[in-house]
Amino acid sequence: MNQADLSKLVSKLRINIRPRHYNLKNPKGPEGRLERLRIVVTGLIKHERIQLNYRVADEARGYAERLISEAIRYGDCHAPTMEIADYWLTEKQLIHKLFKVLVPRFHECNMSYTKLLRLSTDHELTRMQGVLELRGNPYPPLIKDLSRNRNLLHNVLLDAARKDYRHEQYLRIAQGMSSEGKKSNEETITGNIEDKDKNEKA
Amino acid sequence: MSFSNIFLRPFHTSKECYHIIKMSRLRVVDNSEIGRRAMAEGKPPKCIHVYNKKGVGTIGDKVLVAILGEKKKGILVGVKKHQPPRVPKFDTNNIVLIDDTGTPLGNRIHVPIPVMLRTILKEKTFAKGVDYTKILAIASRFV
Amino acid sequence: MFSNLYRQCLVEKHFVYNLFPLCKWSQCFASSQPELATESTIQAFEEPEKRSIKLEQRFIYPEFLPDPKIEWRNSIRERLERQDMLKRRSQIEIPEFYVGTIMAVTSFTPHSTSKKNRFLGICIQRKGCGLRATFVLRNIIDNLGTEVAYHLYDPTIEKIEVIRLEKRLDDELFYLRDALPEYSTFPLDMEPVILPDNTPIPVNTTQVILKPRPWVGRWERTDFKGINREHMMTLISDKMKMQIAKHQKPWEKYDLMKQYRATIPEEEQKEIFAEVYSQLHQLELGKKKSKRIRTFVKPKKSA
Repeated sequence: MNQADLSKLVSKLRINIRPRHYNLKNPKGPEGRLERLRIVVTGLIKHERIQLNYRVADEARGYAERLISEAIRYGDCHAPTMEIADYWLTEKQLIHKLFKVLVPRFHECNMSYTKLLRLSTDHELTRMQGVLELRGNPYPPLIKDLSRNRNLLHNVLLDAARKDYRHEQYLRIAQGMSSEGKKSNEETITGNIEDKDKNEKA
Repeated sequence: MSFSNIFLRPFHTSKECYHIIKMSRLRVVDNSEIGRRAMAEGKPPKCIHVYNKKGVGTIGDKVLVAILGEKKKGILVGVKKHQPPRVPKFDTNNIVLIDDTGTPLGNRIHVPIPVMLRTILKEKTFAKGVDYTKILAIASRFV
Repeated sequence: MFSNLYRQCLVEKHFVYNLFPLCKWSQCFASSQPELATESTIQAFEEPEKRSIKLEQRFIYPEFLPDPKIEWRNSIRERLERQDMLKRRSQIEIPEFYVGTIMAVTSFTPHSTSKKNRFLGICIQRKGCGLRATFVLRNIIDNLGTEVAYHLYDPTIEKIEVIRLEKRLDDELFYLRDALPEYSTFPLDMEPVILPDNTPIPVNTTQVILKPRPWVGRWERTDFKGINREHMMTLISDKMKMQIAKHQKPWEKYDLMKQYRATIPEEEQKEIFAEVYSQLHQLELGKKKSKRIRTFVKPKKSA
């Protein structure tokens, strides 16, 4: 039975946290483990997308998330945060990148800051590989965007809404052709927009 | 911890050392002649048997001790090991020496003893057996 | 951000077929755009105040925060426990106290003739969460160190009094077991010291002097601020001094995930204290009222 540590306040991470850390074996013990993860975190901030052993990637992901969330929370004028950034980023120009590029990028983000993907392995003996990347990186996406599939429910509904909207537009044009008053025209336009909104909500 | 240097061994003192088992050193807290002399000479009594089925003594248990070359019986009136809530835990393992009929050898106890000892000792006392409750009469303070 | 996107889309009259922005849109539709702007400004003003009100409570009521161990989390059980704790708090007054505070606990016991037992001592540890929260009191009575642990929400406790409200430099004072007896000796009939309202909790900065070894713990390897380090160094051997550096763990302050797993995130803390805030506030008001009544009654009796 434990009591929560009261001395520190942390922001909640938006990734799934394992109850216990992976047992990454290292001859130097826990210190060596952190040093190994430090290389990964530095590489992630530098290259924004890296491929590596899945377990190491999963472990380093938490540290990268925490580093970014601390940077967002306290900013670059907070000495302890600066010390942590100094430890985790071995290349010092990356500290500037963290505070000047990544903090504005993720400031209003309400998702996780990183993405972790499993790679299929060809051979049984090869360790499971993963790809760890920052969101908003400049590379082409790794996964096809399936949300554009026409058969998905929301796309079907949107299609129907668009069809209705066009239909009403045509009707309005037809009414315009029959030369009705301009005021009534405007009312129908606003009414149409509201209808469209309702459709989208549905 | 009133161990003399002779008994200090280089091994670490872990939680297990607080268990009262055979060969544990105890502290006599009454004013019996033999007990006072043993503590003054730096030869605290050594537990050579615990009269219960676990072999680990706790509050209210009877122990057989070797004290200054003699065998005496004693009642544990305060232990050092971890205790459940509301049960006091003391800095030393305290005993009160008694004879075979349950009569204490001294006539005063100069440390506080736990209140729950009243119930425990009354439960252990039978009509034609040993009367342990005499210890309660010589206690100076309960906590 | 997404409201801007929506505005663009409206202007351009074209739809983006994407699931995620769609969800966000539906939220945006619920409130019109000028309102959104005012809300965000209000939040910016209110947030620091809210934080100071609610999250300071974690020091006064640490047992309301659940166990940070992920396997043991259970939101329903935690909520039920919180309700039970509030019910118990409405029955007896559980005062604000910290490690280092001198307290007296009166509890019912079937063993003694008066059926009551009072113990006074310094709080050397406060741990556990929920209904299992405990604290340990230590005192030296008749030259014998005595410690009693109590459950904070034990129904057999009749009264918890705070005799002297203060903090120490550390979160645990187990080194008092190895310190000279004067640091943990308090008379059992000590009179309570009443602090005036709205004063900060005084911090007792005494540094204790330890007895010669053997000790209960390896105090030289710890960084407790309440131990007189210079004196402690004279008590240990050269080999122990050599081993101090070996047992330091300087990398732990950089282990961000270890810290994260040991804490409850701020968002969850806010939720918890927002849930119990109103009831705790009422209890505090009730306490103040009862105090006033007591002060009013006393002179009547003497007259």
